[in-house]
Amino acid sequence: MDVSRKKLVSAGLLAWYVGVSVWMAQTPADPQFWLIASILPAFFVVVLVATYRHLPLSPASYGLITAFLTLHTIGVHYTYAEVPVGLWIDQVLHLGRNHFDRIVHFSFGFLLAYPMEELFRLSTSVQGWVVYYLPVMTVLGLSGLWEIIESWVASAVHPELGINYLGSQGDIWDAQKDMAAALYGALLCVSVLMIVRALRGAQSELQSETAE
Amino acid sequence: MNTGMTGQKRAESGNRRLLLALLLSYGVFWVWLAIDPLNRRDWLLENLLVLTLIPLLILTHRRFEFSLTSYYLIGLFLMLHAFGAHYTYAEVPLGFWLRDLGGLSRNPFDRIAHFAYGLLLVYPIRELLVRRAGIAGLWSYALPVCVVLAQSGFFEVLEAIVAMIVSPELGNIYLGTQGDEWDAQHDMAAALAGSVLTMCVLLALSSCSRGRAKRSVS
Repeated sequence: MDVSRKKLVSAGLLAWYVGVSVWMAQTPADPQFWLIASILPAFFVVVLVATYRHLPLSPASYGLITAFLTLHTIGVHYTYAEVPVGLWIDQVLHLGRNHFDRIVHFSFGFLLAYPMEELFRLSTSVQGWVVYYLPVMTVLGLSGLWEIIESWVASAVHPELGINYLGSQGDIWDAQKDMAAALYGALLCVSVLMIVRALRGAQSELQSETAE
Repeated sequence: MNTGMTGQKRAESGNRRLLLALLLSYGVFWVWLAIDPLNRRDWLLENLLVLTLIPLLILTHRRFEFSLTSYYLIGLFLMLHAFGAHYTYAEVPLGFWLRDLGGLSRNPFDRIAHFAYGLLLVYPIRELLVRRAGIAGLWSYALPVCVVLAQSGFFEVLEAIVAMIVSPELGNIYLGTQGDEWDAQHDMAAALAGSVLTMCVLLALSSCSRGRAKRSVS
């Protein structure tokens, strides 16, 4: 893909994200939660735009990041425990709780492990298994950091609600399950990546053999 | 040339002797604390980690040798852990003393161990990443912190699984939340703080020595 096409795709993704954000900013279910939970993604997008010239990622990475941020924006609009899709899944499968938050934690690992892998590939000289190990560790580390920040916010804003403020929906293992979901997502993403690359490598070998 | 070779060899065998002494002293300490732990099953559970880590370090010693500093730091952390395992963490006398001294609501020894985990083990992790994976620059300070935090999170997940599978009663002892609903987050934050502290000190030291080298050149 040439440079101008790449730029166009990136700009389109940014426009999509801004559009969704503005739309979802109308009458959020809990304005305070919406505000707090929107700070970090907004900051993240600003960093991505600012580093675009310096260290442009591939359109695939930007697409994955946009998909994740879109999911988060939807979750923040309804507050995670009340997202209609999650309620619907709960009704159909009789899960006992709204699993939308768990899905987004899984997506954090599954969708963002590849952009991280690309970042490490471009900005460090790592090779071999470390290329796959570092994104998984980064996903898990950031998930842990997220849980820590959440606990600080909850203690600062609503100390009387305790862990229930975080949409734990009465589950004392909520933090651990969230981190595990992100870990599974990252492991799945990295596995897919390894398989795809192995297949591609085999294919190109085959092609060069037939060419000879 | 020849004397240089023997000098290097002598240093290597000196290192090996120090490492053996470290291993031996840890072994003695460990056996002493293994004789009569407060709760044998919890002690066993806590030591599963140690019983995998030490053989792993010995077996990989030929393929990857850490610096002496790293081995000392790992040894120090494992001694702290053996101490905690003996008293099932929530009952460590030193922790009770600290609790009364600081007017705390719980025995803080487990939190200290989590902090020490970050403080002491981030250095060996960095060494591994720098020497094996070729990570350099600022990444070599950020990524070890990330790995420590990830391992802490992974440990909390493992703890949760163990607590759910094994008898809930032992699970509670093993978890040692002592009624803190933010226990997992506090543990991870302690490890994060420890690792950030060590990396900041290391960064300051390396920039200091670089500045001194520049000055001596000019």
